[in-house]
Amino acid sequence: MNATIARRKTRNRPWTYVVAIILFLFLAYNSVYIKKLDEVKAAGSAGTGKFDAATYAKTFWNTKLIPSAAGGAVDLSTLLSLLKTDKDKAFTTYSQALGIGNIRYFLVKGEGTVTAVSDNDVTLSLPSGETIRLATEYIFGNAARDASGLIKITEFDNTTDLNNVSAAINDIIRKDVIPPLKAAAKPGKKIAFVGAIELNRAHLHLDDIEVIPISAR
Amino acid sequence: MQLSLESHKPTLARFQSLIALFVLCLGISLMSDKFLTVANFWNVLRQISVNVCISTGMTLVVLTAGIDLSVGSVLALSGAITAGLLRNGIPMPSANLFIGFTLLGSILAGILTGSGLGWFNGWAITRFSLPPFVATLAMLTIARGLTMLWTGGFPITGLGDSFTYLGTGWLIGIPVPVWISGLIVAIATLITNKTRLGRYIYAIGGSESAARLSGVNIERIKMVVYTLAGTLAGVGGLLVTSRLDSAQPNAGISYELDSIAAVVIGGTSLSGGRGSILGTVQGAIIIGVLNNGLVLLNVSPFWQQVVKGFVILLAVIIDQKSSKRE
Repeated sequence: MNATIARRKTRNRPWTYVVAIILFLFLAYNSVYIKKLDEVKAAGSAGTGKFDAATYAKTFWNTKLIPSAAGGAVDLSTLLSLLKTDKDKAFTTYSQALGIGNIRYFLVKGEGTVTAVSDNDVTLSLPSGETIRLATEYIFGNAARDASGLIKITEFDNTTDLNNVSAAINDIIRKDVIPPLKAAAKPGKKIAFVGAIELNRAHLHLDDIEVIPISAR
Repeated sequence: MQLSLESHKPTLARFQSLIALFVLCLGISLMSDKFLTVANFWNVLRQISVNVCISTGMTLVVLTAGIDLSVGSVLALSGAITAGLLRNGIPMPSANLFIGFTLLGSILAGILTGSGLGWFNGWAITRFSLPPFVATLAMLTIARGLTMLWTGGFPITGLGDSFTYLGTGWLIGIPVPVWISGLIVAIATLITNKTRLGRYIYAIGGSESAARLSGVNIERIKMVVYTLAGTLAGVGGLLVTSRLDSAQPNAGISYELDSIAAVVIGGTSLSGGRGSILGTVQGAIIIGVLNNGLVLLNVSPFWQQVVKGFVILLAVIIDQKSSKRE
């Protein structure tokens, strides 16, 4: 009896192999495709066409942010005044953010007199009496990217690309905005600026406002 | 009265997971009106699907008196391989060739990665007589490192609607991950209850030397079991990646603990030979309901870890006591 079963098993084995090979070939045929790398590159297909954050940031800066910055920005004195009287309205009306949470960004503009210049910032006194700082050394974060609300998160395949855009925009600020600002910033001089600020809705501190400059003259 | 309670002890012990689940559900539903809703029901089932997948494999391993600490890392690597191949393929500049992977190809590659790593675990354990704890702990680090190398430390995202359907879609009114995990549970139950492999798994866990003397090929069965555990971790990786539409290099961290917890709470003995797949499913549901309830009750995530730790401790104590009684 056992010998019969063993013989039957042995007889069945070749068919099992044939079925396994056919299944393997079927799966392999439907799993993989091979193309010329040039064709894939030309088609800009996945894996070869990498996102260029610097190019994106430059285009965004020249065609969207700078042309609309002055018109889209809120006067900083007006904003500070509204934040003191009606915080919710100020955040709802003027703030932007790509994610959820209490950190929100504002595109602001204003004019003030330089009262101090340090290695890290230029301090301005606004006509309304508030004192603010224009950052000149530590240009980090997402304020410049997000404050205008002109960038949509759906434009990006992944968060790395999105973060790289922030870094590239901050690079533009460091190279194109900060040097002339630092050169012109002398105590007593008037500076008109457009910039971005970051505020925490849950922990609002209005006594030390730092503006990331987008343009200054 | 005391006599009556004594006579019911075996029944109570048999259904201890179900009783615990019932008490848990009752307690949470009294404290949160959002718990007993249809949406939350499907949400919990969808969330536990990944744990059910990897815990099913873990059950098979624990039944042989082994342990697999690498499932979380294997899950991460499998998900990353799937996402990487689907999104980027394999460019070969030297030959001017691009090997692209279809959805099926990427999924198979991810799952086979899990199988391969599981097989390696089994091979290391049987070939060098390593304690499973040590061998799989090594794999935990190896697979995590390989995931970091493969992804460069960055998430791989934008995997397409067809792929995300596996983790987020619905089929006949039931979430797709629930179908997948249900199918896995059904097959694993069939294997453990109705096949020779299942009997051997229990036999090895009950007494390895007795099983060896009975002619069971211990090494081969262990290799199969660890390969299955790796495969199911691969399926888990597929579900996680699909659900998030993103392969995260740090995915699956501490999943092995959730998995072991589900197995132990479900009544499978850590010393092997005793337990069931359905018990593990109950354990996974208890963990899932507990997580869900703590979130709904607005308990801090830090406290959630503390509570979960105590629940696992309690389950192990109960397991030890029942083992001694037997």
